[in-house]
Amino acid sequence: MAEKKSLFKEFSKGIVIENPVLRLVLGTCPTLATTTSVESAVGMGLAASIVLICSNVVISALRKVIPSKVRIPAYIVVIASFVTIVQMLVKAFTPDLDKQLGVYLPLIVVNCIILGRAEAFAGKNPVLASAVDGLGMGVGFTAALFLMSTVREVLGAGSFYGAEIPGLSAHPMLVFILPPGGFFVFGILMATVNRIAESRGKPRAELRGCEACPMATVCKLHNDGRTEPLTAPASEPLHKAKADTAAKRRAEANTETLTEPVTEAVTEPVNKEVRPS
Amino acid sequence: MKKMNPKDILIPTLALFLICLIATVLLALTNRATAEKIADNDVQNAIVSRKDVLPEVDGVKVETYTDDAVEPETGLTYNEGKDTDGNTVGYIFTNSAKGYGGDVKIMVGYDLNGTIVGFKVLSASDETPGLGQNSTKEDFWQRFTGKCGELKVNKYSNDGQNLQAITSATITSTAVVTAVNEANQAFTALTGVQLPDALTGGDSNG
Amino acid sequence: MTKELLGILLTAILTENFVLAKFLGICPFLGVSKKLNTAVGMSAAVIFVMALATAVTYPINLLLVKKDLAYLQTIVFILVIAALVQLVEIILKKYIPALYSALGIYLPLITTNCAVLGVVLLNVQKDYHFAQSMFNSVGAGVGFMLAMIMFAGVRERMESCDVPKFMRGLPITLVAASLVSVSFLGFTGIVDGIFG
Repeated sequence: MAEKKSLFKEFSKGIVIENPVLRLVLGTCPTLATTTSVESAVGMGLAASIVLICSNVVISALRKVIPSKVRIPAYIVVIASFVTIVQMLVKAFTPDLDKQLGVYLPLIVVNCIILGRAEAFAGKNPVLASAVDGLGMGVGFTAALFLMSTVREVLGAGSFYGAEIPGLSAHPMLVFILPPGGFFVFGILMATVNRIAESRGKPRAELRGCEACPMATVCKLHNDGRTEPLTAPASEPLHKAKADTAAKRRAEANTETLTEPVTEAVTEPVNKEVRPS
Repeated sequence: MKKMNPKDILIPTLALFLICLIATVLLALTNRATAEKIADNDVQNAIVSRKDVLPEVDGVKVETYTDDAVEPETGLTYNEGKDTDGNTVGYIFTNSAKGYGGDVKIMVGYDLNGTIVGFKVLSASDETPGLGQNSTKEDFWQRFTGKCGELKVNKYSNDGQNLQAITSATITSTAVVTAVNEANQAFTALTGVQLPDALTGGDSNG
Repeated sequence: MTKELLGILLTAILTENFVLAKFLGICPFLGVSKKLNTAVGMSAAVIFVMALATAVTYPINLLLVKKDLAYLQTIVFILVIAALVQLVEIILKKYIPALYSALGIYLPLITTNCAVLGVVLLNVQKDYHFAQSMFNSVGAGVGFMLAMIMFAGVRERMESCDVPKFMRGLPITLVAASLVSVSFLGFTGIVDGIFG
């Protein structure tokens, strides 16, 4: 019973409290790029969710097999495989969606949400919990994209899911589906979400560039304290857990390095004295 | 530099290698399963598009379409549309031109006199959503039907050899018209039928 | 020929700016643009890696296509970029320490920067030949730098502004980015105007 409850918690956290887009500020590229229409936004959300769930499951299942030294390249290989599989399926069965998403479909590989969840959750939790975490995050991502694309399509094109809205479609405010509109709507949405969060006593969402970035553990810029602290230090509740693991990882990170098999032998003893003097 | 234990290198390398291997095998399998369907989609799309731009000519239904051929002088791809008796009743040309963000691909159907029977923008995915991408909508395509000869982009009117541009997407519209004009030349090169030049005086009735 | 290449370069820098029009590389754009010097360092590293990645992946892609393995593109490209970044880091550190201390620290960040993988994939999608690919990549990198530097300037000015409480932090940053992006809309058609 208790387990069931915690599983539900894993699921629901991704939708509201830790919504990847609106609270953790991850995956901003697809959020801005694919929300010009509801159709492409939902397509992107679903495609990314499928990749997220599958990669979470596989990475979690392999978490004891993957040596921690090469975990990041291993994660990337797993994620890239699923992205390619999804890409082929989309091309075969929904070619229109493939045309709409274009280059953003293969770019799911570098969506920070997916690598971020692999590093923060799936790499150290059992399979079922990871699957549920992926599902929750995927739903949260899709919901955020849906919300944003609804605003942009209704205002910018005067339609919803391709169906024209009488009265609006005659003179749509085009700027909303142009790039500036993307930034603008996202900014206003963040302000609204922050306002709601604050009124409930939760911290504002901030761009934690480095803390949330999946590369934080291998990034010297961050480990050397070279980046300006983008937010208050790790005491914030929203990111407490993450910051803790990040700190732990940071300790190991200086002896670790991101490599790929070919360069493996050469790169091994590198990061010992990385600090540029 | 401190000595590395060979095991520390070997095991991660091996693990990564195995993961890559399994991933590649999985991808190869998926590719096998979907490649045919993807290729088939393209073929189906081409057939559907041909039917869209050249459904019938002067009331005669087009029954069969020849395979892609290349017009030697212009390098454009074309198909012939044939009626039930195998007589050629129309031509389809495919062409592309550089739009705002990338290539815009079009398909034009002609009757034997070179009048445009049907028109379609096949892809404009690099154009701006909401502006240039409106070129993939049917109400823009319909502006081309019935036109004959060299076209000119016009912001306000769609009379004669003027082609009304998409609102706020002149670059995309110009690209589409350029592609159509090139297709016109290819039509002339292939059939020898001369088409009217762009509207200069008042004597051309299109 | 030269005209075409220059057209590609200018398009990539201005009208199809990677950050402001294509939304690629937003994370570093928002995260590392607070100070001018980090913005410059980061974007210089991006230009370098983009050009290098394109030069290396171009022949690899030819090989993949020839062997009918085009479906492996994504996975191969991302691994090649990751390996390349690592390799460059080692070489720079050993032989050109000065350059390493200027750019090296940004390199690992770039592996998962979608702009680098994006430019490589776009080159393939657009069927660019080698010279076109290189010009497109360098243009994309320079465009990234331009956006970063401009935005760093905007953000420095914003530090001293009195922003309404609910807009403080990320929201006002995004709205500012929106306005910078509007200014780039002004370049619409300019490339065709020059080279058309």
